[in-house]
Amino acid sequence: MTDKPSVTVRRHFDASPERVFDAWLDPETAGQWLFATPTGQMVKVEIAPRVGGRFVIVERRDGEDAEHTGEFLEIDRPRRLVMTFGVPKYSANVTKVTVEITPSGAGCDLTLTSDNLDAEYVERTKQGWAMILDNLARTRGL
Amino acid sequence: MQPDLDQTLMALADPTRRAILARLSLGEARVTEVAAPFAMSLAAVSKHIHVLEKARLLKRRRSGREHFLTLDPAPLDAAAQWMAAERALWTGRLDALDALLKTQDRKGTVP
Repeated sequence: MTDKPSVTVRRHFDASPERVFDAWLDPETAGQWLFATPTGQMVKVEIAPRVGGRFVIVERRDGEDAEHTGEFLEIDRPRRLVMTFGVPKYSANVTKVTVEITPSGAGCDLTLTSDNLDAEYVERTKQGWAMILDNLARTRGL
Repeated sequence: MQPDLDQTLMALADPTRRAILARLSLGEARVTEVAAPFAMSLAAVSKHIHVLEKARLLKRRRSGREHFLTLDPAPLDAAAQWMAAERALWTGRLDALDALLKTQDRKGTVP
């Protein structure tokens, strides 16, 4: 996955690394910026901030619900956050977003990298999870 | 989103393949001409050409025993569009985060 072209965005924040990091995982804060648009209305923000945990952020835009979903792959507060990210309703495309935060002066620098995940990887992951859940259901007699 | 975007990005993620595309951006060329500058076998270069062909970044034309290659830039446009859109989206989101943190500072509502 590492040799694929990706998009990188860098930015300086005057706030501490911890504050910038937590803004991604705290539902109340994330709901105010992450997938928020000026005219949209945030209707759902659910974040399970652990590795393997998922997030669902739904914003109503012109009467239509835009659902953003993903899964956390790495959480290393306040340095590194890796998650998958997709908008299933509009596209089967899933990206892997890596956020790296380093202290800089009184604030911090954030580097965000977005990699386009290939469909095969997504399919494998999906099958993997389906299998695990099947097994779990079977062993627990569900 | 183009269904072939993954294939395009994968095809572009190799320096030899990018060099092949750069050569073809100058115009049509024989397979042997394309392969000549590389310190690798014709078979190895052919594999790279095949990847580019599958990603529909180049077209092959046969004339007798000769194979001619031309660049097809259409998938490149799709990849460039994805990258530009993705960059714009995240730049906008990080702007929003910066604005939110500054508003919290002004209001003294730092959590």
